[in-house]
Amino acid sequence: MKGHRDNRTYVEDLERHGDLVRIKQEVDWDLEAGAIVRRVCELKAPAPLMERIKDYPGFRYLGAPIATYRRLAICMGMDPRSSVPDLAEEYLRRTTTEPIPPVVVDKKDAPCKQNILLGDEVDLCKLPAPLVHDGDGGRYIGTWHAVITESFEEGTVNWGLYRLMLYDSKLMAAAVFPFSDLGKAFLQRYEPQGRPMPFAAVIGPPPLAAVAASAPSPIPEPEFTGQLMGEPIELVKCETNDLLVPAHSEVVIEGVILPNVRLEEGPFGEYTGYRTSPRDKRLAFLVKAITFRDDAIVTISNMGVPTDEGQLLRSFSLGLELEKLLRSQGLPVTGVYMPPESTHHMMIVGVKPTYSNIATQIANLAFGSKLGPWFHMVVVVDDTIDIYNWDEVFHALCTRCHPVRGIRVYEHAVGTALYPFLNAHERKYAKGAQVLFDCTWPLDWDPLNEVPRLVSFRTVYPKEIQEKVLANWEAYGFPSE
Amino acid sequence: MNVWEVFINDLSELREDEDLELSIRTLNPGIYKYTYKKVRARVSTSPEKYPDKLHVRFGRGQPHDHVYSIQVLEELNVIPEEYL
Ligand SMILES: Cc1cc2nc3c(=O)[nH]c(=O)nc-3n(C[C@H](O)[C@H](O)[C@H](O)COP(=O)(O)O)c2cc1C
Repeated sequence: MKGHRDNRTYVEDLERHGDLVRIKQEVDWDLEAGAIVRRVCELKAPAPLMERIKDYPGFRYLGAPIATYRRLAICMGMDPRSSVPDLAEEYLRRTTTEPIPPVVVDKKDAPCKQNILLGDEVDLCKLPAPLVHDGDGGRYIGTWHAVITESFEEGTVNWGLYRLMLYDSKLMAAAVFPFSDLGKAFLQRYEPQGRPMPFAAVIGPPPLAAVAASAPSPIPEPEFTGQLMGEPIELVKCETNDLLVPAHSEVVIEGVILPNVRLEEGPFGEYTGYRTSPRDKRLAFLVKAITFRDDAIVTISNMGVPTDEGQLLRSFSLGLELEKLLRSQGLPVTGVYMPPESTHHMMIVGVKPTYSNIATQIANLAFGSKLGPWFHMVVVVDDTIDIYNWDEVFHALCTRCHPVRGIRVYEHAVGTALYPFLNAHERKYAKGAQVLFDCTWPLDWDPLNEVPRLVSFRTVYPKEIQEKVLANWEAYGFPSE
Repeated sequence: MNVWEVFINDLSELREDEDLELSIRTLNPGIYKYTYKKVRARVSTSPEKYPDKLHVRFGRGQPHDHVYSIQVLEELNVIPEEYL
Protein backbone atom coordinates (compact mmCIF):
# COMPACT_ATOMS: atom_id res chain seq x y z
CA MET A 1 0.00 0.00 0.00
CA LYS A 2 1.12 3.58 -0.64
CA GLY A 3 -0.29 6.36 1.50
CA HIS A 4 -1.74 9.58 0.12
CA ARG A 5 1.10 11.94 -0.54
CA ASP A 6 -1.19 14.95 -0.12
CA ASN A 7 -4.69 16.07 0.70
CA ARG A 8 -5.59 16.22 -3.00
CA THR A 9 -5.31 12.50 -3.70
CA TYR A 10 -6.95 11.92 -0.32
CA VAL A 11 -9.90 14.15 -1.27
CA GLU A 12 -10.30 12.23 -4.55
CA ASP A 13 -10.27 8.97 -2.66
CA LEU A 14 -12.85 10.23 -0.16
CA GLU A 15 -15.04 11.33 -3.06
CA ARG A 16 -14.70 7.94 -4.76
CA HIS A 17 -15.93 6.31 -1.54
CA GLY A 18 -18.86 8.73 -1.17
CA ASP A 19 -17.26 10.31 1.88
CA LEU A 20 -16.87 13.90 0.62
CA VAL A 21 -19.25 16.81 0.00
CA ARG A 22 -18.02 19.58 -2.30
CA ILE A 23 -19.52 22.89 -1.13
CA LYS A 24 -19.55 25.24 -4.12
CA GLN A 25 -21.32 28.22 -2.56
CA GLU A 26 -19.29 30.80 -0.68
CA VAL A 27 -18.65 29.96 2.96
CA ASP A 28 -17.67 32.52 5.59
CA TRP A 29 -14.46 31.84 7.52
CA ASP A 30 -16.08 33.72 10.41
CA LEU A 31 -18.04 30.90 12.16
CA GLU A 32 -19.91 29.44 9.18
CA ALA A 33 -17.12 27.03 8.17
CA GLY A 34 -16.66 26.02 11.82
CA ALA A 35 -20.38 25.39 12.25
CA ILE A 36 -20.42 23.16 9.15
CA VAL A 37 -17.51 21.10 10.43
CA ARG A 38 -19.00 20.81 13.91
CA ARG A 39 -22.29 19.49 12.55
CA VAL A 40 -20.38 17.07 10.30
CA CYS A 41 -18.58 15.71 13.39
CA GLU A 42 -21.79 15.32 15.35
CA LEU A 43 -23.61 13.56 12.46
CA LYS A 44 -20.54 11.59 11.32
CA ALA A 45 -21.33 13.05 7.89
CA PRO A 46 -18.95 13.07 4.89
CA ALA A 47 -16.00 15.47 5.00
CA PRO A 48 -16.81 18.92 3.56
CA LEU A 49 -14.51 20.43 0.93
CA MET A 50 -15.39 24.14 0.89
CA GLU A 51 -14.30 25.49 -2.47
CA ARG A 52 -15.05 29.23 -2.04
CA ILE A 53 -14.11 31.05 1.11
CA LYS A 54 -15.25 34.60 1.75
CA ASP A 55 -12.37 37.09 1.41
CA TYR A 56 -9.96 34.33 0.38
CA PRO A 57 -10.07 33.43 -3.31
CA GLY A 58 -7.49 30.77 -4.13
CA PHE A 59 -7.95 28.88 -0.86
CA ARG A 60 -10.18 25.97 0.11
CA TYR A 61 -11.09 24.24 3.38
CA LEU A 62 -11.18 20.52 4.12
CA GLY A 63 -13.18 19.98 7.31
CA ALA A 64 -13.19 16.98 9.66
CA PRO A 65 -10.56 15.25 7.51
CA ILE A 66 -10.26 12.08 9.61
CA ALA A 67 -13.12 12.39 12.09
CA THR A 68 -14.42 8.82 11.56
CA TYR A 69 -12.89 5.35 11.58
CA ARG A 70 -14.20 5.03 8.02
CA ARG A 71 -12.07 7.96 6.91
CA LEU A 72 -9.11 6.63 8.88
CA ALA A 73 -9.46 3.38 6.90
CA ILE A 74 -9.54 5.31 3.60
CA CYS A 75 -6.57 7.36 4.72
CA MET A 76 -4.67 4.13 5.52
CA GLY A 77 -5.59 2.68 2.13
CA MET A 78 -7.82 0.01 3.68
CA ASP A 79 -11.37 -1.12 3.00
CA PRO A 80 -13.62 1.69 4.35
CA ARG A 81 -15.69 -0.95 6.14
CA SER A 82 -12.67 -2.16 8.14
CA SER A 83 -13.52 -2.78 11.79
CA VAL A 84 -11.70 -0.99 14.61
CA PRO A 85 -9.77 -4.17 15.54
CA ASP A 86 -8.72 -4.49 11.87
CA LEU A 87 -7.51 -0.88 11.85
CA ALA A 88 -5.70 -1.45 15.13
CA GLU A 89 -4.00 -4.60 13.86
CA GLU A 90 -2.85 -2.83 10.71
CA TYR A 91 -1.52 0.18 12.66
CA LEU A 92 0.40 -2.17 14.95
CA ARG A 93 1.75 -4.13 12.01
CA ARG A 94 2.95 -1.08 10.10
CA THR A 95 4.45 0.71 13.08
CA THR A 96 6.45 -2.29 14.26
CA THR A 97 8.26 -2.72 10.93
CA GLU A 98 11.58 -1.03 10.17
CA PRO A 99 11.25 2.78 10.23
CA ILE A 100 11.23 4.23 6.70
CA PRO A 101 13.46 7.32 6.49
CA PRO A 102 12.22 10.34 4.51
CA VAL A 103 13.76 11.57 1.26
CA VAL A 104 14.68 15.19 0.70
CA VAL A 105 13.55 16.69 -2.59
CA ASP A 106 14.54 19.77 -4.48
CA LYS A 107 12.57 22.97 -4.00
CA LYS A 108 11.40 22.83 -7.63
CA ASP A 109 9.74 19.47 -6.92
CA ALA A 110 7.97 20.72 -3.81
CA PRO A 111 4.44 22.01 -4.46
CA CYS A 112 4.40 23.77 -1.07
CA LYS A 113 6.83 26.31 -2.61
CA GLN A 114 4.45 27.44 -5.36
CA ASN A 115 3.87 30.74 -3.51
CA ILE A 116 6.41 32.25 -1.17
CA LEU A 117 5.87 35.25 1.11
CA LEU A 118 8.93 36.74 2.80
CA GLY A 119 9.76 39.95 4.68
CA ASP A 120 7.07 42.61 4.50
CA GLU A 121 4.81 40.36 2.45
CA VAL A 122 4.40 38.05 5.41
CA ASP A 123 0.91 38.50 6.82
CA LEU A 124 -0.95 35.68 8.55
CA CYS A 125 -4.24 37.38 7.69
CA LYS A 126 -3.60 36.45 4.06
CA LEU A 127 -4.44 32.89 5.16
CA PRO A 128 -8.08 31.94 5.77
CA ALA A 129 -7.74 31.14 9.47
CA PRO A 130 -11.27 30.28 10.61
CA LEU A 131 -13.01 31.48 13.75
CA VAL A 132 -13.95 27.92 14.65
CA HIS A 133 -16.39 28.42 17.54
CA ASP A 134 -18.22 31.54 18.72
CA GLY A 135 -16.42 32.76 21.83
CA ASP A 136 -13.01 31.36 20.89
CA GLY A 137 -10.15 33.65 21.83
CA GLY A 138 -9.11 34.03 18.22
CA ARG A 139 -8.90 32.59 14.75
CA TYR A 140 -7.12 29.26 14.79
CA ILE A 141 -4.99 28.54 11.73
CA GLY A 142 -3.65 25.36 13.34
CA THR A 143 -6.32 22.81 14.21
CA TRP A 144 -5.25 19.90 11.98
CA HIS A 145 -1.59 20.42 11.18
CA ALA A 146 1.92 19.65 12.41
CA VAL A 147 4.33 21.90 14.25
CA ILE A 148 7.87 20.90 13.30
CA THR A 149 10.76 21.73 15.61
CA GLU A 150 13.83 20.15 17.10
CA SER A 151 12.85 17.60 19.74
CA PHE A 152 13.96 17.39 23.37
CA GLU A 153 16.97 15.32 22.34
CA GLU A 154 19.32 17.71 20.58
CA GLY A 155 19.54 17.13 16.83
CA THR A 156 16.33 15.08 16.61
CA VAL A 157 13.08 16.28 15.11
CA ASN A 158 9.56 16.51 16.52
CA TRP A 159 6.26 16.88 14.72
CA GLY A 160 3.33 17.57 17.01
CA LEU A 161 -0.13 19.11 16.93
CA TYR A 162 -0.33 22.17 19.13
CA ARG A 163 -3.27 24.47 18.46
CA LEU A 164 -2.21 27.76 16.87
CA MET A 165 -4.13 31.01 17.36
CA LEU A 166 -3.54 34.07 15.19
CA TYR A 167 -2.52 36.91 17.46
CA ASP A 168 -1.76 39.45 14.74
CA SER A 169 -0.28 39.52 11.23
CA LYS A 170 3.08 38.14 12.37
CA LEU A 171 2.39 36.36 15.64
CA MET A 172 0.66 33.16 16.69
CA ALA A 173 0.06 31.89 20.22
CA ALA A 174 0.07 28.20 21.07
CA ALA A 175 -0.93 25.94 23.93
CA VAL A 176 2.08 23.66 24.37
CA PHE A 177 2.06 21.43 27.43
CA PRO A 178 5.34 21.26 29.34
CA PHE A 179 5.35 17.44 29.18
CA SER A 180 5.02 17.34 25.37
CA ASP A 181 8.11 16.88 23.22
CA LEU A 182 8.01 20.50 22.11
CA GLY A 183 7.35 21.68 25.66
CA LYS A 184 10.39 19.77 26.93
CA ALA A 185 12.67 21.00 24.14
CA PHE A 186 11.67 24.63 24.43
CA LEU A 187 11.26 24.97 28.19
CA GLN A 188 14.23 22.83 29.19
CA ARG A 189 16.77 23.88 26.55
CA TYR A 190 15.97 26.82 24.28
CA GLU A 191 14.29 29.19 26.72
CA PRO A 192 16.82 28.84 29.58
CA GLN A 193 19.56 29.68 27.06
CA GLY A 194 17.53 32.65 25.74
CA ARG A 195 17.53 31.10 22.25
CA PRO A 196 14.66 31.57 19.78
CA MET A 197 13.57 28.13 18.55
CA PRO A 198 13.01 27.67 14.80
CA PHE A 199 9.66 26.13 13.87
CA ALA A 200 7.64 25.29 10.78
CA ALA A 201 3.88 24.90 11.13
CA VAL A 202 2.46 22.79 8.35
CA ILE A 203 -1.24 23.31 7.67
CA GLY A 204 -2.73 20.53 5.56
CA PRO A 205 0.15 18.07 5.81
CA PRO A 206 -0.20 14.70 4.03
CA PRO A 207 -2.99 12.97 6.00
CA LEU A 208 -0.84 10.23 7.55
CA ALA A 209 1.80 12.82 8.50
CA ALA A 210 -0.85 14.52 10.63
CA VAL A 211 -1.79 11.15 12.14
CA ALA A 212 1.90 10.61 12.98
CA ALA A 213 2.21 14.10 14.45
CA SER A 214 -0.71 13.44 16.78
CA ALA A 215 0.53 9.99 17.85
CA PRO A 216 2.62 9.65 21.02
CA SER A 217 5.13 7.26 19.43
CA PRO A 218 8.82 7.25 20.37
CA ILE A 219 9.73 6.79 16.67
CA PRO A 220 10.61 10.14 15.05
CA GLU A 221 7.58 11.29 13.06
CA PRO A 222 9.19 11.42 9.57
CA GLU A 223 10.14 7.72 9.86
CA PHE A 224 6.84 6.93 11.55
CA THR A 225 4.95 8.59 8.69
CA GLY A 226 6.97 6.45 6.28
CA GLN A 227 5.90 3.33 8.17
CA LEU A 228 2.25 4.36 8.04
CA MET A 229 2.47 5.33 4.36
CA GLY A 230 4.52 2.31 3.30
CA GLU A 231 6.99 4.57 1.48
CA PRO A 232 9.29 7.46 2.35
CA ILE A 233 7.68 10.83 2.82
CA GLU A 234 9.17 13.59 0.65
CA LEU A 235 10.54 16.55 2.60
CA VAL A 236 11.93 19.89 1.52
CA LYS A 237 14.02 22.49 3.34
CA CYS A 238 12.38 25.60 4.76
CA GLU A 239 13.09 29.08 3.36
CA THR A 240 14.32 30.65 6.59
CA ASN A 241 15.69 27.76 8.66
CA ASP A 242 17.08 24.25 8.25
CA LEU A 243 13.93 22.37 9.21
CA LEU A 244 12.46 19.93 6.69
CA VAL A 245 8.73 19.97 5.91
CA PRO A 246 6.55 17.61 3.87
CA ALA A 247 6.96 18.81 0.27
CA HIS A 248 3.30 18.18 -0.59
CA SER A 249 1.91 20.19 2.33
CA GLU A 250 -0.67 22.82 1.55
CA VAL A 251 0.66 25.72 3.66
CA VAL A 252 3.89 26.14 5.60
CA ILE A 253 4.40 28.89 8.18
CA GLU A 254 8.03 29.36 9.23
CA GLY A 255 9.49 31.32 12.11
CA VAL A 256 10.81 31.20 15.65
CA ILE A 257 9.31 30.57 19.07
CA LEU A 258 10.40 33.48 21.22
CA PRO A 259 12.07 32.88 24.58
CA ASN A 260 10.62 34.70 27.58
CA VAL A 261 7.68 36.08 25.62
CA ARG A 262 4.10 35.00 26.23
CA LEU A 263 0.91 35.94 24.45
CA GLU A 264 -2.66 35.58 25.63
CA GLU A 265 -4.18 32.48 24.07
CA GLY A 266 -7.62 30.87 24.25
CA PRO A 267 -10.23 30.13 25.28
CA PHE A 268 -10.93 27.47 22.69
CA GLY A 269 -13.44 24.66 22.17
CA GLU A 270 -11.44 21.65 23.29
CA TYR A 271 -11.26 17.91 22.73
CA THR A 272 -13.13 17.20 25.97
CA GLY A 273 -16.26 18.76 24.46
CA TYR A 274 -16.00 21.91 26.58
CA ARG A 275 -14.21 25.20 26.71
CA THR A 276 -12.33 24.50 29.93
CA SER A 277 -8.79 25.81 30.06
CA PRO A 278 -8.60 29.47 31.00
CA ARG A 279 -7.29 32.13 28.71
CA ASP A 280 -3.66 32.25 29.65
CA LYS A 281 -0.25 33.53 28.59
CA ARG A 282 1.18 30.95 26.24
CA LEU A 283 4.07 30.49 23.79
CA ALA A 284 4.65 33.15 21.12
CA PHE A 285 5.43 32.10 17.54
CA LEU A 286 6.93 34.89 15.39
CA VAL A 287 6.39 34.29 11.68
CA LYS A 288 9.14 34.94 9.09
CA ALA A 289 7.86 33.23 5.95
CA ILE A 290 4.71 31.69 4.54
CA THR A 291 4.70 29.30 1.58
CA PHE A 292 1.65 27.66 0.05
CA ARG A 293 0.35 25.68 -2.90
CA ASP A 294 -1.92 27.07 -5.57
CA ASP A 295 -5.54 26.50 -4.50
CA ALA A 296 -4.27 25.55 -1.07
CA ILE A 297 -6.48 23.37 1.12
CA VAL A 298 -6.54 24.56 4.72
CA THR A 299 -7.54 21.69 7.01
CA ILE A 300 -9.94 22.28 9.91
CA SER A 301 -10.60 20.02 12.85
CA ASN A 302 -13.43 21.28 15.02
CA MET A 303 -13.05 20.08 18.55
CA GLY A 304 -16.17 19.73 20.67
CA VAL A 305 -18.45 16.87 21.70
CA PRO A 306 -17.48 13.54 20.10
CA THR A 307 -16.38 12.74 17.54
CA ASP A 308 -13.56 14.78 16.02
CA GLU A 309 -9.91 14.10 15.16
CA GLY A 310 -8.74 15.05 18.64
CA GLN A 311 -10.80 12.25 20.15
CA LEU A 312 -10.71 9.64 17.39
CA LEU A 313 -7.04 9.67 16.45
CA ARG A 314 -5.63 10.42 19.86
CA SER A 315 -7.72 7.60 21.35
CA PHE A 316 -6.61 5.29 18.58
CA SER A 317 -2.89 5.97 18.86
CA LEU A 318 -2.76 6.41 22.65
CA GLY A 319 -4.40 3.00 23.10
CA LEU A 320 -2.15 1.25 20.61
CA GLU A 321 1.05 2.89 21.81
CA LEU A 322 0.13 1.77 25.33
CA GLU A 323 -0.44 -1.74 23.99
CA LYS A 324 3.09 -1.72 22.53
CA LEU A 325 4.51 -0.47 25.82
CA LEU A 326 2.73 -3.15 27.86
CA ARG A 327 3.76 -5.90 25.45
CA SER A 328 7.36 -4.66 25.52
CA GLN A 329 7.29 -5.40 29.28
CA GLY A 330 6.02 -8.92 28.67
CA LEU A 331 2.54 -8.28 30.03
CA PRO A 332 -0.01 -10.78 28.65
CA VAL A 333 -2.40 -8.15 27.28
CA THR A 334 -5.07 -9.18 24.81
CA GLY A 335 -5.51 -5.61 23.56
CA VAL A 336 -5.97 -1.97 24.53
CA TYR A 337 -8.83 0.22 23.37
CA MET A 338 -9.76 3.80 24.11
CA PRO A 339 -13.31 4.67 23.13
CA PRO A 340 -13.25 8.06 21.33
CA GLU A 341 -16.48 8.90 23.18
CA SER A 342 -14.39 8.98 26.38
CA THR A 343 -12.56 11.94 24.77
CA HIS A 344 -9.43 9.83 25.24
CA HIS A 345 -9.90 9.71 28.98
CA MET A 346 -10.58 5.99 29.44
CA MET A 347 -8.05 3.28 28.61
CA ILE A 348 -9.59 -0.21 28.47
CA VAL A 349 -6.98 -2.94 28.82
CA GLY A 350 -7.67 -6.65 28.31
CA VAL A 351 -5.28 -9.00 30.06
CA LYS A 352 -4.89 -12.65 30.95
CA PRO A 353 -4.55 -12.31 34.72
CA THR A 354 -1.59 -14.57 35.40
CA TYR A 355 -0.63 -13.08 38.76
CA SER A 356 -2.27 -11.02 41.48
CA ASN A 357 -2.58 -7.25 41.09
CA ILE A 358 -1.49 -7.33 37.46
CA ALA A 359 -4.02 -4.53 36.91
CA THR A 360 -2.08 -2.31 39.30
CA GLN A 361 1.13 -2.93 37.38
CA ILE A 362 -0.67 -2.04 34.14
CA ALA A 363 -2.06 1.18 35.59
CA ASN A 364 1.31 2.14 37.07
CA LEU A 365 2.95 1.72 33.69
CA ALA A 366 0.17 3.53 31.86
CA PHE A 367 0.00 6.50 34.22
CA GLY A 368 3.77 6.62 34.68
CA SER A 369 4.54 6.70 30.97
CA LYS A 370 4.78 9.67 28.61
CA LEU A 371 1.18 8.89 27.66
CA GLY A 372 -0.09 9.21 31.24
CA PRO A 373 -1.08 12.89 31.46
CA TRP A 374 -3.60 12.43 28.63
CA PHE A 375 -6.07 10.12 30.41
CA HIS A 376 -7.23 9.52 33.93
CA MET A 377 -9.11 6.22 33.88
CA VAL A 378 -7.68 2.76 33.31
CA VAL A 379 -10.17 -0.10 33.21
CA VAL A 380 -8.61 -3.55 33.28
CA VAL A 381 -10.75 -6.51 32.21
CA ASP A 382 -9.83 -10.14 31.77
CA ASP A 383 -9.42 -11.93 28.46
CA THR A 384 -13.04 -13.16 28.42
CA ILE A 385 -14.24 -9.61 27.74
CA ASP A 386 -14.24 -8.09 24.27
CA ILE A 387 -12.57 -4.72 24.87
CA TYR A 388 -14.23 -3.27 21.75
CA ASN A 389 -17.71 -4.19 23.01
CA TRP A 390 -18.77 -1.41 25.36
CA ASP A 391 -21.78 -3.42 26.61
CA GLU A 392 -19.44 -6.15 27.84
CA VAL A 393 -16.93 -3.72 29.33
CA PHE A 394 -19.66 -1.73 31.07
CA HIS A 395 -21.20 -4.91 32.46
CA ALA A 396 -17.80 -6.02 33.80
CA LEU A 397 -17.13 -2.58 35.29
CA CYS A 398 -20.48 -2.52 37.08
CA THR A 399 -20.31 -6.08 38.38
CA ARG A 400 -16.69 -7.12 38.89
CA CYS A 401 -15.01 -3.99 40.16
CA HIS A 402 -15.16 -3.91 43.98
CA PRO A 403 -16.04 -0.35 45.06
CA VAL A 404 -13.17 -0.34 47.55
CA ARG A 405 -10.66 -3.08 46.68
CA GLY A 406 -11.09 -2.78 42.91
CA ILE A 407 -10.47 0.95 42.73
CA ARG A 408 -7.02 2.52 43.19
CA VAL A 409 -6.86 6.26 43.27
CA TYR A 410 -3.73 8.07 42.13
CA GLU A 411 -3.52 11.49 43.68
CA HIS A 412 -1.02 14.15 42.63
CA ALA A 413 -0.93 13.10 38.99
CA VAL A 414 0.33 15.23 36.10
CA GLY A 415 -2.71 16.91 34.59
CA THR A 416 -3.61 19.63 32.15
CA ALA A 417 -5.72 22.75 32.32
CA LEU A 418 -8.13 21.05 29.94
CA TYR A 419 -9.63 18.52 32.38
CA PRO A 420 -13.21 19.69 32.98
CA PHE A 421 -13.48 17.98 36.40
CA LEU A 422 -10.50 19.81 37.94
CA ASN A 423 -11.07 22.90 40.02
CA ALA A 424 -9.65 26.27 39.00
CA HIS A 425 -6.50 25.90 41.12
CA GLU A 426 -5.80 22.40 39.82
CA ARG A 427 -6.26 23.58 36.24
CA LYS A 428 -3.94 26.54 36.73
CA TYR A 429 -1.15 24.33 38.06
CA ALA A 430 -2.05 21.30 35.89
CA LYS A 431 -2.54 19.02 38.90
CA GLY A 432 -4.45 15.93 37.91
CA ALA A 433 -5.75 12.75 39.54
CA GLN A 434 -6.17 9.28 38.08
CA VAL A 435 -8.00 6.08 38.86
CA LEU A 436 -7.76 2.37 38.12
CA PHE A 437 -10.85 0.18 37.90
CA ASP A 438 -9.69 -3.42 38.31
CA CYS A 439 -12.42 -5.62 36.82
CA THR A 440 -10.50 -8.91 37.00
CA TRP A 441 -11.55 -11.61 39.43
CA PRO A 442 -9.07 -11.89 42.32
CA LEU A 443 -6.77 -14.85 41.75
CA ASP A 444 -7.07 -15.92 45.38
CA TRP A 445 -10.78 -16.66 44.89
CA ASP A 446 -11.60 -20.31 44.38
CA PRO A 447 -12.57 -20.43 40.69
CA LEU A 448 -15.12 -23.15 41.37
CA ASN A 449 -16.93 -21.81 44.42
CA GLU A 450 -16.15 -18.11 44.63
CA VAL A 451 -15.94 -16.75 41.08
CA PRO A 452 -19.48 -16.10 39.86
CA ARG A 453 -20.62 -17.91 36.74
CA LEU A 454 -21.46 -15.65 33.80
CA VAL A 455 -25.05 -16.25 32.76
CA SER A 456 -25.27 -15.86 29.01
CA PHE A 457 -26.52 -17.89 26.08
CA ARG A 458 -22.95 -18.86 25.29
CA THR A 459 -21.93 -19.87 28.81
CA VAL A 460 -24.81 -21.65 30.53
CA TYR A 461 -26.35 -23.93 27.89
CA PRO A 462 -24.96 -27.20 26.63
CA LYS A 463 -23.49 -26.98 23.14
CA GLU A 464 -26.22 -29.19 21.66
CA ILE A 465 -28.95 -26.93 22.98
CA GLN A 466 -27.20 -23.82 21.66
CA GLU A 467 -26.84 -25.42 18.23
CA LYS A 468 -30.45 -26.57 18.19
CA VAL A 469 -31.73 -23.11 19.12
CA LEU A 470 -29.55 -21.43 16.53
CA ALA A 471 -30.57 -23.91 13.83
CA ASN A 472 -34.25 -23.36 14.59
CA TRP A 473 -34.11 -19.63 15.14
CA GLU A 474 -36.01 -18.67 12.03
CA ALA A 475 -38.34 -21.66 12.33
CA TYR A 476 -39.36 -20.31 15.75
CA GLY A 477 -40.48 -17.18 13.90
CA PHE A 478 -37.56 -14.80 14.59
CA PRO A 479 -36.17 -12.71 11.74
CA SER A 480 -32.81 -13.98 10.44
CA GLU A 481 -29.73 -12.29 11.93
CA MET B 1 -15.52 54.36 15.06
CA ASN B 2 -13.71 51.11 15.78
CA VAL B 3 -15.20 48.14 17.54
CA TRP B 4 -12.99 46.17 19.92
CA GLU B 5 -13.38 43.19 22.19
CA VAL B 6 -11.63 42.20 25.39
CA PHE B 7 -11.53 38.95 27.39
CA ILE B 8 -11.57 39.27 31.17
CA ASN B 9 -12.22 37.03 34.13
CA ASP B 10 -13.92 39.65 36.24
CA LEU B 11 -15.51 43.02 35.51
CA SER B 12 -13.32 44.58 38.20
CA GLU B 13 -10.44 44.29 35.69
CA LEU B 14 -12.10 47.07 33.67
CA ARG B 15 -11.54 49.98 36.06
CA GLU B 16 -13.26 52.99 34.55
CA ASP B 17 -11.36 56.08 33.42
CA GLU B 18 -7.97 54.79 34.51
CA ASP B 19 -5.03 53.97 32.27
CA LEU B 20 -5.20 50.22 31.72
CA GLU B 21 -3.02 47.80 29.78
CA LEU B 22 -5.28 45.56 27.76
CA SER B 23 -5.06 43.02 24.95
CA ILE B 24 -7.95 43.89 22.69
CA ARG B 25 -9.01 42.43 19.39
CA THR B 26 -10.65 44.27 16.54
CA LEU B 27 -14.18 43.36 15.48
CA ASN B 28 -14.00 45.64 12.43
CA PRO B 29 -15.01 43.60 9.38
CA GLY B 30 -12.38 42.35 6.94
CA ILE B 31 -9.42 40.03 6.98
CA TYR B 32 -7.90 41.57 10.10
CA LYS B 33 -11.00 40.87 12.22
CA TYR B 34 -10.11 39.21 15.56
CA THR B 35 -6.43 40.22 15.48
CA TYR B 36 -5.01 41.61 18.69
CA LYS B 37 -3.24 44.70 19.85
CA LYS B 38 -1.78 45.34 23.26
CA VAL B 39 -2.75 48.87 24.24
CA ARG B 40 -2.86 51.47 26.96
CA ALA B 41 -6.46 52.59 27.05
CA ARG B 42 -9.30 54.03 29.06
CA VAL B 43 -12.69 52.44 29.29
CA SER B 44 -16.12 53.42 30.50
CA THR B 45 -19.40 51.61 31.09
CA SER B 46 -21.04 54.58 29.45
CA PRO B 47 -21.26 53.61 25.78
CA GLU B 48 -20.77 57.18 24.51
CA LYS B 49 -17.96 58.44 26.73
CA TYR B 50 -15.02 57.30 24.57
CA PRO B 51 -14.83 57.16 20.77
CA ASP B 52 -14.67 53.38 20.19
CA LYS B 53 -16.92 50.54 21.30
CA LEU B 54 -15.62 47.75 23.51
CA HIS B 55 -17.38 44.38 23.70
CA VAL B 56 -16.57 42.23 26.70
CA ARG B 57 -16.27 38.46 27.03
CA PHE B 58 -15.49 36.34 30.07
CA GLY B 59 -12.85 33.66 30.47
CA ARG B 60 -14.72 30.85 28.70
CA GLY B 61 -15.92 33.09 25.86
CA GLN B 62 -19.32 34.03 27.32
CA PRO B 63 -20.36 37.49 26.05
CA HIS B 64 -21.25 40.21 28.56
CA ASP B 65 -24.47 41.92 27.57
CA HIS B 66 -23.22 45.45 28.20
CA VAL B 67 -21.06 47.25 25.63
CA TYR B 68 -18.42 49.63 27.03
CA SER B 69 -16.66 52.50 25.30
CA ILE B 70 -12.88 52.73 24.95
CA GLN B 71 -10.19 55.18 23.95
CA VAL B 72 -6.91 53.68 22.80
CA LEU B 73 -4.13 55.94 24.05
CA GLU B 74 -1.10 54.03 22.86
CA GLU B 75 -0.17 50.77 21.17
CA LEU B 76 2.34 48.73 23.14
CA ASN B 77 4.90 46.29 21.79
CA VAL B 78 4.19 42.71 22.69
CA ILE B 79 7.60 41.44 21.70
CA PRO B 80 11.03 42.81 22.53
CA GLU B 81 12.61 45.22 19.98
CA GLU B 82 15.39 42.74 19.17
CA TYR B 83 12.93 40.43 17.45
CA LEU B 84 11.14 43.10 15.41
C1 LIG C 1 -6.57 17.96 16.89
C2 LIG C 1 -5.50 17.92 17.96
C3 LIG C 1 -5.16 19.06 18.67
C4 LIG C 1 -4.18 19.04 19.66
N1 LIG C 1 -3.84 20.18 20.31
C5 LIG C 1 -2.83 20.17 21.23
C6 LIG C 1 -2.41 21.38 21.86
O1 LIG C 1 -2.96 22.46 21.60
N2 LIG C 1 -1.39 21.32 22.75
C7 LIG C 1 -0.75 20.14 23.06
O2 LIG C 1 0.19 20.15 23.88
N3 LIG C 1 -1.15 18.97 22.49
C8 LIG C 1 -2.16 18.97 21.58
N4 LIG C 1 -2.56 17.80 20.98
C9 LIG C 1 -1.91 16.56 21.36
C10 LIG C 1 -0.57 16.44 20.70
O3 LIG C 1 -0.70 16.53 19.31
C11 LIG C 1 0.05 15.15 21.01
O4 LIG C 1 0.44 15.14 22.35
C12 LIG C 1 1.22 14.84 20.13
O5 LIG C 1 1.63 13.54 20.40
C13 LIG C 1 2.34 15.81 20.36
O6 LIG C 1 3.51 15.14 20.36
P1 LIG C 1 4.43 15.03 21.65
O7 LIG C 1 3.63 14.69 22.85
O8 LIG C 1 5.29 13.93 21.20
O9 LIG C 1 5.03 16.36 21.75
C14 LIG C 1 -3.53 17.81 19.97
C15 LIG C 1 -3.87 16.66 19.25
C16 LIG C 1 -4.84 16.69 18.25
C17 LIG C 1 -5.14 15.44 17.48
